[in-house]
This record gives sequence, C-alpha cells and structure tokens, in this order.
Amino acid sequence: MKATILNGALPGDSYVDAAAAALQDSLHAEGWAVTRWNLRDEKIAYCLGCFECWTKTPGLCRIDDAGHPVAASIIGSDLAIYLTPITFGGYSSELKKAVDRTICLISPFFTRIDGEVHHHARYNRYPALVGVGILPAANPPQEHTFQTLVSRNAINMHAPRHGSLVLYRSQEPADVAASLNHIFEFSGRVSQ
Amino acid sequence: MTSQPSALLLVGSAKPAGESTSEVLGASLLQCLAEHGFTTETRHVARAMRTEARTKELLQAVDRATLIVLAFPLYVDSLPYLVTQALERIAEHRQAQPSPAPASFLAIANCGFPEPHHNRTALAICEHFAASAGFTWAGGLALGAGGAISGRSLDELGGMVHNIVAALDLAAAELAAGEPLREDALDLMARPILPTQAYMLMGDLGWLVQARRNRALTRLVARPFKPV
Repeated sequence: MKATILNGALPGDSYVDAAAAALQDSLHAEGWAVTRWNLRDEKIAYCLGCFECWTKTPGLCRIDDAGHPVAASIIGSDLAIYLTPITFGGYSSELKKAVDRTICLISPFFTRIDGEVHHHARYNRYPALVGVGILPAANPPQEHTFQTLVSRNAINMHAPRHGSLVLYRSQEPADVAASLNHIFEFSGRVSQ
Repeated sequence: MTSQPSALLLVGSAKPAGESTSEVLGASLLQCLAEHGFTTETRHVARAMRTEARTKELLQAVDRATLIVLAFPLYVDSLPYLVTQALERIAEHRQAQPSPAPASFLAIANCGFPEPHHNRTALAICEHFAASAGFTWAGGLALGAGGAISGRSLDELGGMVHNIVAALDLAAAELAAGEPLREDALDLMARPILPTQAYMLMGDLGWLVQARRNRALTRLVARPFKPV
C-alpha cells in the first residue's frame, strides 16, 4: 500500500514537521510505502487557471516543475494525507500551491454526484483522502470549516473514503501520535 | 476612519489584468462604490505577491483602505494559493500592529460550477480571515456559472446578468451606509445565470471546442500518470 503525505508546514513550523515525521514513521511501521513532500522546499508554480491541463495537454499541467511528480504521487497512492496548519479554517498557502495543481487529475467534463455538479473522474481509481489540521488551540468554527473543506475536496477528487483530524499544539508529541492512530484505523479500512 | 471612504479591490485571479471574471465583478462593485463617494484602488494579487517590494505596497494599500473587497475564483473548494498567501501576510501585518485601523472586508467568490453554494467553504475561510486580521466582516457574495461570464464585461452580457448588476448596486448602497450585506444582495447574486442543464451542456461543448482548437481532442481522456 502506498501513501503520499503533503506537508504544508510554513517555514519554521517545527511542530507540523514533527507531526509529518511521526505520521510517516507510523505508516512505515504499519507496512505502508510512504512518500512525503515537504512542500515549502519544492518549486511549485501557482496554477494559472489556463485549463491547458484539460484542453491542450490533457492530464498534465503545462508548467514542468515539482507539481508533476506531486500529482503523480497522489494518483499513484492508496492514501493521500493533507497535513497543514489550519489557516483561517483552510489549508496553508504551502499546501494550497500543490492542491491547486491537482486539477489535472480530473476531467473537465461535468457530471452530477448526489445531485450536485462536479467534474468527471479522469482515472479509474483515486486515493482515499485524509486531512490533518493543526491549530494552536480549540476553535470549533475553524475546525468545522476545515472538516467541510476536506469533505468537499474528497467529492471533487473522487476519493473513495475520506476523514479529517484536528490536532492542537498544546498536545504532547505522544498525544499527537495517538491521535494519528485514528488515521491508521481509517486507512486500514481503505485497503480492505 | 478617514473622512472619505476608500475601497481597495484585490483581484484574486491569476489571469492577466482585464481578463478575469473576478476582476469584472470586483471592478463593477468598485464603480458602484465610486458613485457613492468612495475613492477606489485596485491591486492584482498575483502581481503583488511576485516580489517583497510589491507585497509591501499591497500591505500599505490595505492600511489606507476603509473597505477591502476580495474578488477571487474558486480553486479546489477554496481560495487560490496566491490569495491564501496574501491573506496570511495581511493577517500577520495587522496582528503586528497594536491597533490596526478599522476597516471592513467583503469577499466575492465565483466558481465554474452552476451552483453558487460550492463557494460556501471559501467564503467561510474569508470570514475567519476577517476575524483573525481584525476586519469587520461585511459579507460574502457567491456566484455560480462563472464560465458564462468568462471575463466579459457585465454591460456586454446584458440581460443575462441583470441580477448580478442589481446585487452589486444593492451591495454598494449597503456598504456606503456602513452596513454589512443583507440577504437580498446575497440572494440576487446567487440566482442562476443559466439553467443548470444548459450551462453543463455549454461547458462541455466549450471544452471540446478548445481541445479541437488545440488538436488535443483525441487525448482528452489521457491518463499520463500511472495509477496504483
């Protein structure tokens, strides 16, 4: 089983980096092959909104940078994990720069999912999606927005399963690891 | 608060100046605000985030305004990367000030799906940002079927966009009165431009036409990456 971790830590955020490392170690211990992308170290240009990945070079962004292998890593995985400091209820800019470049993984054509308009799948199989958000302390409105965002992404990216988890910086690393075990339980179901 | 209200439009689309639906919507609102006595200024986020010097200019423009209007396209259920980065910088900038100048923040989101409610999560993020940065939340306008506008002026589109024009007029009047947006402006903006089925059909045909023009018609369903 393959997992991709997109680490959206902003520069200097050692807590999120530590969570990424703990997550990677724990997945390894469970037998997963893990690819971790520390996105702030990757050269990924912003999505131009040109839609050439749909109509000119279908499935591939015209910008040839780390956006390509990151998208390939996601679609080549059973599980994609978006790890991020929660930024106004959403993803950090570092995570968002990679997520914006994943629209090449879906088709431009419209379809309806549960009565709502979305885009058709491009691939036959997509990874399960887990969002892990880090907050300084409990913030129910932002946590709700984060969880909703992960759910909405899961619909648009045709994820067969999804889940989200919010961690607080007040938690000790051991507590964080314990919380991450929820994801392992979840991801175990993905492979069944 | 300065004697004359001032509105700063942040255009969140990465498209060149003058080509985006976000700019059309934001500029139309700014025009209405000018008629209500606002001074206006426009900054393109993609350009502003290109260098540190331009980012500082953006922050100074934010400091001068009594109303910030962010107009952006929906990218994967939320705000585009560069807009997120700009909001991070603005929040950090204002949080570093002992008492940031009072100002309001309004967001206009547009998406390529026919249903405007796809914008809800992005607008919730904007509202959280406003609170974090010490702005008064003025409200969020959500537009669906943005592809039907596709960067064309509202004047050119005529009757098809009369609800959008009415929504922006109403929003400007409410903002000029110092009030947050009421439901009537939000409802007008959210009304469908086209019937959903017609929009879906036109959208799909549009992709086919573009692909044909790009000689990519036979590769439209390509899967360049190897799945699991």
